[in-house]
Amino acid sequence: MSQKPIQSSGRRRLLSGLGLGTLAVAAPFVLTPRRAFAAGKMVLVSYGGTYRTSVESALVKPFQQEFGVEVTVIDTPDLAKVKAQQMTGNIEWDVFDAVGAPGAQGSKAGYWEPLDPGMFDAKDIVGGVKKDLVPFYMWAGGIGWDPAKFGPGKAPRTFAEYWDVKRFPGLRTFRNRASETLEAALLADGVPPAKLYPLDIDRAFKSLVRIKPYVGKWVDETPQSISLLERGEVNFSYVYASRVRTQTAGKYGFSFDQNLLGMEYLAIVKGAPNKANAMKFVQFAMRPDRQAALMTLLGNIPTSRKALPLVGEDARKWMPNVDNPNDALLNDEYWADKFESVTRRFKEWVLA
Amino acid sequence: MTAKPGREAAFYLAPAFLLALGVVLVPLVFIVITSVWSPATGFSLEAYRGLAESPLFRRSLLTTFEISAMGAALSMLLGYPVALHLSRLAPRARAFCMILVLVPFWTSILVKSYAFTVILGKQGIINSVLSWIAGSEVYVPMLLNRVGVMVGMTNYLVPFVVFPLLASLLAIDKSIYHAVEILGAKPPTVFWKVTLPLSMPGVTSALLSTFVMSTGFFVIPALLGGRKDVMLANLVDFYTRETLDWNTAAAIGVILLGIVTLIAGTAMQFQRSRGLARGT
Repeated sequence: MSQKPIQSSGRRRLLSGLGLGTLAVAAPFVLTPRRAFAAGKMVLVSYGGTYRTSVESALVKPFQQEFGVEVTVIDTPDLAKVKAQQMTGNIEWDVFDAVGAPGAQGSKAGYWEPLDPGMFDAKDIVGGVKKDLVPFYMWAGGIGWDPAKFGPGKAPRTFAEYWDVKRFPGLRTFRNRASETLEAALLADGVPPAKLYPLDIDRAFKSLVRIKPYVGKWVDETPQSISLLERGEVNFSYVYASRVRTQTAGKYGFSFDQNLLGMEYLAIVKGAPNKANAMKFVQFAMRPDRQAALMTLLGNIPTSRKALPLVGEDARKWMPNVDNPNDALLNDEYWADKFESVTRRFKEWVLA
Repeated sequence: MTAKPGREAAFYLAPAFLLALGVVLVPLVFIVITSVWSPATGFSLEAYRGLAESPLFRRSLLTTFEISAMGAALSMLLGYPVALHLSRLAPRARAFCMILVLVPFWTSILVKSYAFTVILGKQGIINSVLSWIAGSEVYVPMLLNRVGVMVGMTNYLVPFVVFPLLASLLAIDKSIYHAVEILGAKPPTVFWKVTLPLSMPGVTSALLSTFVMSTGFFVIPALLGGRKDVMLANLVDFYTRETLDWNTAAAIGVILLGIVTLIAGTAMQFQRSRGLARGT
């Protein structure tokens, strides 16, 4: 662009400057529709850190190459922000990476676009496609420890053993929330995994009373569940398999004898500005090759059955056997209904 | 400077006032409205009624004030000697030391909280040194309890004590010191009769601002505290993000703001009346 008009002085300079400015401000509005038509864009809300780099390399970049859609990745899927966007009608997000309970909660509140089941290979997907949620992967929570301090047989491997403070003395951790913790308490108390739901809340609290004096920390921030083990503040900790793999470079122990399995979903925000691209992206993310590529990095369990054998060797070592009868799958619908009341009781109990 | 300093002050303060109006008052009004109104139910005091009956809220409220008061008081005890020392230094040395005070202030709370676990933990630096000195295993619990919270909070709050105090101390007329020394006052007497009373405006404002700041703390108690160190901010987060019950979240905010305003207002009134009584 010519510099001349800007160099001229006085009012003319100001006016031409204003003209250029107007042009610059207006340009995106004039240019965007055509560009959006040609290539398009969308916004994915997901998590930060290594999770984000994994999602970018296994999903976002290949998707851009294949479909020419520009994907903006934003950190932290916060359901409160979805609510705000729905209330104001100013929808900024397209695809939402949702943990189980918030996913189901959003579904109940009507925050997601319905999904066409025809987009997915229904037989291939573990857990089944719901009307507005597709299972993205499963994560495994269980007991972790430092093998340098606790050799074979010296660390608890099931929740019943996690409760056995005589055989396995020392402090433990739990998440500072009712979901996961109450399930672990009932499994420890002998409830069969298949009969967990609806949770016997009173029984769960009775079971927790026994372990409460041995809890070193009710963990709020997830990374702390491992860092407390590393610092020797606690002997055993409720941790996640994929995090043990990445945060300790696979050096820490994690028991696959009994796990809590949680579902992660993908959802499309209701009224998403780039709905068509979002649909394409979700479909793309569920393709067995993409599932395998992402789970090789994340170490979580793919929900595509065909993807499982394609996942890298090292990542597969950190996945539980999904047919283990000792494992329990968290029931997201249950928690979507009961979350507030049960969590409030839980928090009061922790404080007491 | 001509007449009517009030009008001149108003002129210079207007932009800041308008900005504050926009970024503080508007959202605040929105919060107050949210606490009593929702699109689904219309006007309702349900959120306040629910909180009045909630033991969780009452306990968190109590803990919040307990931790905030302790944090402010301890920061004052730690910050006062620092400010006093700074006020006696030559300007250049003072500038250097002020940077030292500010360094922790520039570090992220999250990073510092993790650093404290390395220092205060069971196998941390302090316990290791104590064990080495004692020749046997010594374990002083300083983490995941109230002690940990206080260490984390004072580390964050001390700069907020030092700076207003320093301003107060530097404003004291040096000839007063000369006068009392000539009259034979010993250093402790000088401190109790001159320095402390004349620095009271700084003490009050530092205590107030650190107390008010503490009421909103969130990460430090979550990382360094024990199970009972639950602050209202954690509860607000719970209702805002996890249960999406914005009425209750807003109501907690309004109640907290109300109580804090009451405390701060009373303290300032008290300070003013004392100032008038002393004739300053």
